[in-house]
Amino acid sequence: MGEPNSAACRAGSAAILAHLEAAGYRLCEPPILQKAAVFFESGEDIRSRLYLTSDPSGAEYCLRPEYTIPVCQHYLASEEAGRPAAFSYCGPVFRYRAEGPSEFLQAGLENFGRLDREAADAEVLGLALDAVASANGPKLAVRFGDAGLIHALLAALDLSPQWRRRILRGHAQDKALDVILAASGSSGGHDHSGVLAALEGADKQGARALVEDLLAIAGLSTVGGRSAAEIAERFLEQAALKSGPGFPAEQRAILENFLAIEADPDQASLRLRQLATDAHLNLAVTLDRFDARLGFMAARGLDVADFRFATRFARNLDYYTGFVFEARERGRQNDRPIIGGGRYDGLLRSLGAPAEIPAVGAAIWVERLSVSEGAGWWR
Amino acid sequence: MSESENLVLAVPSKGRLQENAAAFFARAGLALVQGRGARDYRGRIAGVDNVEVAFLSAAEIVTHLAAGTVHLGVTGEDLMRETVPEADAKFELLAPLGFGHANVVVAVPQAWIDVRTMADLEDVAAAFRAKRGERMRVATKYVNLTRRFFAAGHVTDYRIVESSGATEGAPAAGTAELIVDITTTGATLAANALKVLDDGIILRSEANLVASLTAPWGKASREAARVILSRIAAEEVARTTREVSARLAHVEVDLFAHAEVLFAARPRRHLADSWLTLTCPAEKVAALADWLLTQGAAEVTVAALDYVYAADDKLSEKLLARLP
Repeated sequence: MGEPNSAACRAGSAAILAHLEAAGYRLCEPPILQKAAVFFESGEDIRSRLYLTSDPSGAEYCLRPEYTIPVCQHYLASEEAGRPAAFSYCGPVFRYRAEGPSEFLQAGLENFGRLDREAADAEVLGLALDAVASANGPKLAVRFGDAGLIHALLAALDLSPQWRRRILRGHAQDKALDVILAASGSSGGHDHSGVLAALEGADKQGARALVEDLLAIAGLSTVGGRSAAEIAERFLEQAALKSGPGFPAEQRAILENFLAIEADPDQASLRLRQLATDAHLNLAVTLDRFDARLGFMAARGLDVADFRFATRFARNLDYYTGFVFEARERGRQNDRPIIGGGRYDGLLRSLGAPAEIPAVGAAIWVERLSVSEGAGWWR
Repeated sequence: MSESENLVLAVPSKGRLQENAAAFFARAGLALVQGRGARDYRGRIAGVDNVEVAFLSAAEIVTHLAAGTVHLGVTGEDLMRETVPEADAKFELLAPLGFGHANVVVAVPQAWIDVRTMADLEDVAAAFRAKRGERMRVATKYVNLTRRFFAAGHVTDYRIVESSGATEGAPAAGTAELIVDITTTGATLAANALKVLDDGIILRSEANLVASLTAPWGKASREAARVILSRIAAEEVARTTREVSARLAHVEVDLFAHAEVLFAARPRRHLADSWLTLTCPAEKVAALADWLLTQGAAEVTVAALDYVYAADDKLSEKLLARLP
């Protein structure tokens, strides 16, 4: 729809908002000028794209780079905080982009506080798709994943914390399993085999105490915010990984099978259940939720069989904790998404909520509804 | 800055960089003449027309090169790559100058005996955030270099704390967990109980002669650049080349071909009485001399050269190839 102020864009925005408000998602219009500190916490990639300014006292502000965090803050400051509430929004956001305008229109919806998570997931996806249709957007192809599945699988596989971290991060970065498992943390240099030999047979606490002592003897005060205990623990973990037999073949095979699953959702569900049965893993709770979500989607009239599910599918914002999805123009699947969203149950707490509050939302790139555009990036 | 057709050459205005740059140009037969007294920030090159020398701070030189208000400048690669995104599209690095060596590195507390590589750092940063709910802080003034390097290493769980001075003290002061900073010998890092990661060298920087591709390159400035660059090239070629002479009883037909393949040596003279002279890269001199002895030379002499002027010097060619 081209320029943010074009008639087409205004009409598209109005149609989207009308649809979302009619569904009970109240309009939330946070200020364009935002306190910058909270966006700094979103990582350097996002921070490097902020349009920053400061007031005479030196306090830093930025032009609103996205809506989710400001809408979360609005909700947390309201009396409804912690209770179910749903909001819609539409307006300009500002993020530096090497190509293409840095001001663009974003519409979207956020759904907070619903404990019936799977129903809320399906509702947000369904509403976002309907909103695009109501704005005469193109036919869309939906692809989704579930960040909760790999968490559940890794927990069931009983892996060391280091492996779990490494696999989860590799997954979020869409690295191949080979690469993730091959990357031995420390390479080259001395392998501290002398120290490790001396530690052989020592119990965990004894070993840790010894490493802490060694650090103290070397006069290495523990600067840099990590404690001697943490350093000792990871040092020993690292050593165990290196001298150990490598990543267990059986678990590797299970992970490989898991990550190979990409199919229509019902097929995928069957394959996930088969995998759990074959590997004697108890993933029942997670898989029941997966199926329940598909049920809610079908109940909304969504053509579930037309969607594509992939265990590998992840969006490059690390706050997603469960359902994640993107919708692109059908036949132009290599273009940037028109809708992107997912569940982020941890974000509200990190923004100051006293306890975890379920949250799921989606953003719609209004300009992309009719104009194919190359550049663009997160959410 | 260049209202006339003059070529503007920017050189550092103070400190060791200024001295080194002046010495570098002097070796190439280019005497920088500062205007009346040491406080004048304009100058020229003795005996070279259409050149204006601007004495500027290192940061200003990069800014002017990027803006195209100077044609040639002496600056560190670190500053250039930090300050200007897509530096390679705007600049041509004509020649490293052999001074101002410094590395931009990732350094962590020595006490982190479990961290040796960026992969370790990625893991530790993720664990740090998972445990504390906060990102590890990286103190640096090289914000852009850090972001690019960390992104390439998939390190995302960190946050930059901008630091304009005494960065190496940040971990001890508790204002950051690790740093990205410039180091020459590593002594300052060691004194602050920091160590460089095995694969933590972001950039090996040294002073470079840099051309701005966005400056107005008219006829006069191109000619002035050719004069300057041919002299610098003459000195550089001479510095890195040796002249090797020997007398052989019998010169095989393919001797020169062999010398070229084995030692990158070029024939200079081959006189009738079996005296021959070659030039070769300085580091291959000893091997070439040995080889000539095995070919029957009784004696091999090696001489340094002062200047090697060439009709088509490599530096001018490099610049012209990038100009429209």
